[in-house]
Amino acid sequence: MNTKTKPTPSYLLASARQALGRFHTSPAFAGSMLFLAALVLNAALQGPASFFTVKNINTLFTKNTPFMLAAIAQSLLLMTGTMDISCGVQMALVNVVVIMTGQEWGIPFPLSCLLGIGAAILASLLCWVCCSVLRLPALLASYALTFVIKGVNVMIMSVPQGKVEKLYYKAYDSQIFGFIPASILGLALVLLIWAYVRRTRLGTHMYAVGGNQRDAFAAGISPMGVQLKAFLLKGFIIGAAGVCLTLMTAAGNPLQAEDYGIRSLSACIIGGLSFGGWGTVGCAISGAGFLVLIQNSVYYFFSMLVKMIPGFSVTSYYQNFASDLLILLGLLMTMVTARGQREALRRDIVRQLKTGIGLRDQAGTPPPDGAAAGAALAPPPGNGTGPENTDAPAFDTLSAPAVSTSAARTGLSDGAGVGAAHTKEGMDDER
Amino acid sequence: MKDNLTPLMRAKVFVKESPARMAFIIAILLYVATVAVSPTSLNANAIGSIIMMTLLLSFASAGQTIVLIGGGMDFSVGAVMSSAAILATTIMNHRDGYFLPLLISALAMGAFVGLCNGVCAVKIGLPPMIVTLAISNVVTRMQYVLTQGSPLGYVSDAFFRSVTTRLFGVQFLPSIILYAFIVFPLVFFLLNRSRFGKQVYLIGNNPLAARLDGIEVSRVQILTYVFSGMFSAFAGILGAAYMQSVRCQTFDEYAYNSLIAVIIGGTALSGGIGTYTGSIAGSLVMVVLSNLLTAMQLSPTKRNVVLGVLMVLLLVLYNREKNVRQ
Repeated sequence: MNTKTKPTPSYLLASARQALGRFHTSPAFAGSMLFLAALVLNAALQGPASFFTVKNINTLFTKNTPFMLAAIAQSLLLMTGTMDISCGVQMALVNVVVIMTGQEWGIPFPLSCLLGIGAAILASLLCWVCCSVLRLPALLASYALTFVIKGVNVMIMSVPQGKVEKLYYKAYDSQIFGFIPASILGLALVLLIWAYVRRTRLGTHMYAVGGNQRDAFAAGISPMGVQLKAFLLKGFIIGAAGVCLTLMTAAGNPLQAEDYGIRSLSACIIGGLSFGGWGTVGCAISGAGFLVLIQNSVYYFFSMLVKMIPGFSVTSYYQNFASDLLILLGLLMTMVTARGQREALRRDIVRQLKTGIGLRDQAGTPPPDGAAAGAALAPPPGNGTGPENTDAPAFDTLSAPAVSTSAARTGLSDGAGVGAAHTKEGMDDER
Repeated sequence: MKDNLTPLMRAKVFVKESPARMAFIIAILLYVATVAVSPTSLNANAIGSIIMMTLLLSFASAGQTIVLIGGGMDFSVGAVMSSAAILATTIMNHRDGYFLPLLISALAMGAFVGLCNGVCAVKIGLPPMIVTLAISNVVTRMQYVLTQGSPLGYVSDAFFRSVTTRLFGVQFLPSIILYAFIVFPLVFFLLNRSRFGKQVYLIGNNPLAARLDGIEVSRVQILTYVFSGMFSAFAGILGAAYMQSVRCQTFDEYAYNSLIAVIIGGTALSGGIGTYTGSIAGSLVMVVLSNLLTAMQLSPTKRNVVLGVLMVLLLVLYNREKNVRQ
């Protein structure tokens, strides 16, 4: 990886193989394999001829962009070592705000969308106060907030009502150049923003805080501040998801989308994210895609059964049961993805021991209490998650106190001074 | 040492040290508030129904207490209760003499769901809350599939009377108390006097130390989920007896309520700390609070908001994580 040879064909081949290997050990590998399997299954059940049509793909994106966005938002929080199960009702909040401001105050649609996004950011801030400032257990605190936000939703809009102008929801449903679904724009926008943020200091800090808050703090990163930024970003994405939801349903309903919270969480887990410091947005997308396609397959499976067996009728109860069962089974799939992560970690360590490359950058064993809650997986020393081993991301060095002191001195972040002042305490505590 | 504390600090110590007593005090205050809001609620019959609901909730939270002390969390309490209630009405179908088959099948169902919870949460290492929520969703959907959305039947008259008759003709002594004479000692024995209980506390405190002590951590933890499923199922059939006929998802709110009740009782989410006395007191608080909210004629939405805020407040009181600076 560190060799600097000229780009000859053999080198290109080798680097291609290396890229493949990197993908194989990357967190998103197991998730994307699951996704591909679901894609094949769905296409087979539906018939490839009717699956790979512009109309069908467009419908898939139109119906599922809100969910994908929710999964992306959730993945950002998971990377930062926290979570928010209330993002489903927050999307409903956006929907309610958008519809009601338009209906009651006559605000034009784009402006009320902005108001809706603002509402989502406010709700996220509330969640941040509970999770980071008050340091409550994130899962339970956000579950409690679900009740509160749902109540607010119903107070704003008591019964399902309202509508979106035809111009807007037609635009959401249309295709650019006749084949690109317009709904993909929201997804692309969010991914672009994340791609930028990932390359800034904040991106690295998010992984560092997710990996181990204390170590991050000892290195001069303020966990609360990083989580604040993550929650703000998540609020914005949930706002976008809520706007997409509004455009999709073209109506207001205060009690919809509640299950998006747990579904987005399970999508992330299926995709291979664990709690804190591990995983990429790609995990969330492939996990979400897996869930979507599997649920689609269930629908086609049942309609196939109805066609094949005369007198067989399906109620929606069966479909709900099957899709909930599949969410559970997908969660159990973590056994597979977690094994992939473990293997990636082991292979990386073995490679470094054998070659000696990158030992200087790596900090030996990962922190023991890295991801106690999840599949017990600590952040691995710089494989697919980081850009390259050479520009050693801060979190690789964090578990060695001596290194973290120097990191703090060299001004790793804005709070470097504070960090250096506190590093000694952190070190004493660790011993 | 406690002499030089300010009253505020002393109150803080009291809140932290004896959550059960604190909960009883809160319950009494809430009841006084209820009487103040609607004086008609001060009668023997109302007290009787408060006791009835409190016992029901405390049976449901028995399993939750054990699981929380062992370091897990069980969100399928409500779904198991509803399923057990549906089993009760379907099996009994207004006939006497089917109590034993019902008890066995309900407990087996609860134990099975608990086993699934335990294996998924402990062996596979998924976060307990998420996996139990997913399993409880599946169980709920199962109710709809098996009953096609409308469960049939009633519980038998004898069973109904065994729960709701007032003992000795006294209005505030519902006969569900007799069941409490079985359940409470059983839970106290399990938690305080048995080897299993000691192991649960130890595991909740420090799983690693427990493992080094030679305890089979995952087996004990799975067993806590199995107990939770069985207690929930038992509470479910008693609930069915109280309601006589049930719908799907009748008792789903018990998942959340039992969790809050247990937390009010001072059981720590991190495990290792907690008593069943506290959970009973917490159940009392929840029931009295819900009575108060009914007396104030709040809409279900506002009730939910109040419950959500209450949960956040409780978490602030008892379950804050350590500061990163410490």
